[in-house]
Amino acid sequence: MSIRLLALIPVAAAISLALSAAVDAVALPLFLDTTGTILATALAGPGVGIATGIVTSAVNTLRNPTFWPFVVVQIIVALYAWVAARAGLFRGFRTAVPAGLGLGVIASVTSTPISYLVFGCTTTGGIALTTALGRALGLPPLEACFFGSFVSDFGDKAVSFALVTSVLHALPRRTAARFPWALRAIGAA
Amino acid sequence: MSRLHPYTLLAIAGALPAFAWILPAPSGGTWTAAVALVLTLTPGESPGLTGTGASSGWRARLIVLRTAVVTAAPFWLFLLLLHDVPTTIAIGLRITTMVASFVWLVAALAPARLVEAMVASGWSASVAYLLAATLSAVPMLKARAQRIVEAQRCRGLSPRGGVAARMRALRALALPLVLSALHEVDERALALETRGLVPGIRRTPLAPPPDSAVERAARWVLLVACLFALVRRFTVPGVS
Repeated sequence: MSIRLLALIPVAAAISLALSAAVDAVALPLFLDTTGTILATALAGPGVGIATGIVTSAVNTLRNPTFWPFVVVQIIVALYAWVAARAGLFRGFRTAVPAGLGLGVIASVTSTPISYLVFGCTTTGGIALTTALGRALGLPPLEACFFGSFVSDFGDKAVSFALVTSVLHALPRRTAARFPWALRAIGAA
Repeated sequence: MSRLHPYTLLAIAGALPAFAWILPAPSGGTWTAAVALVLTLTPGESPGLTGTGASSGWRARLIVLRTAVVTAAPFWLFLLLLHDVPTTIAIGLRITTMVASFVWLVAALAPARLVEAMVASGWSASVAYLLAATLSAVPMLKARAQRIVEAQRCRGLSPRGGVAARMRALRALALPLVLSALHEVDERALALETRGLVPGIRRTPLAPPPDSAVERAARWVLLVACLFALVRRFTVPGVS
């Protein structure tokens, strides 16, 4: 791994964790905690993306230990983003947003068993409340848990993909060319 | 406790939640949660590393305990909302153990000591860099994000209105943050290269934390005890 890619990993992980300040300012129910993982993968491939996801989870765990079991989700996000980058799905919002919605489904399917078995679906307040809504609608416990995860992940991953697409297109070509996957991800190579 | 080797602290913080999930509920979880909460009352970071000495008093220890309790409390509320009382107690004690263990770990373990220990035990300096660099970059980028929010508000950006307006505002806030962070990558790469931190190279730690034979043995005992409890859980009838 080159020095530049090594330097990218902590920056991308920190982006995931610092975006919460921007989200708080606009008061939207989003996490965006996988944005750095998606961005690192789109710029530099799956190895850097997976490393970014693991580092993001490790540092997030120091703030809230319940994040650690969800490191698996970060790895799956990196692998999915790699497939999306290879297919050039970051070339525009019309391809990136549906790809992000697909990731939302996969992420919620992955996180549901962890959330259900380890935490009884109480990972965050929002997920607990939407799970309670699912129970009130008559869903069985596991399905209500999936409902809670799905509601939180579906839009979040689509916005993350759209944001990464914006960044990749706003990046000067000379800067983008320094990362091995950036131009291919936006369909320019 | 904070004078223990970083790996020993990590082993204790990892073993307690493992026992909480493996041992039968609610008695197992009660014991592990009690031990973890008592640990939060032990002294904080090693003297001399923070330079403030503020973490040695009872007030600081109570703050650690309070942080653990405040972090764990919402989970109990959500569990009560979703489950019956026995399930709430069983899962709540496990989550409390996990939260208290990690809150104690963060208070007891200085990242710099962990990095020194990792380098001393043969880990690549790159791995140690990843952890330390992320920990230092997060507050810096958060402060920058806050400045961008204030600057964009001065330019008339409104975070109010419908979802579409808020999404546009989010883009105006997030894009400068991410682009400025990416432009730093080259500077960081140059700084790393200048300091000789190329992948695969071994570094000599300046002050590696002492690792006694007793502590090494204790870590193995914790690991074996976890495995024994796990095997017993699945093989002995009546243990559930």
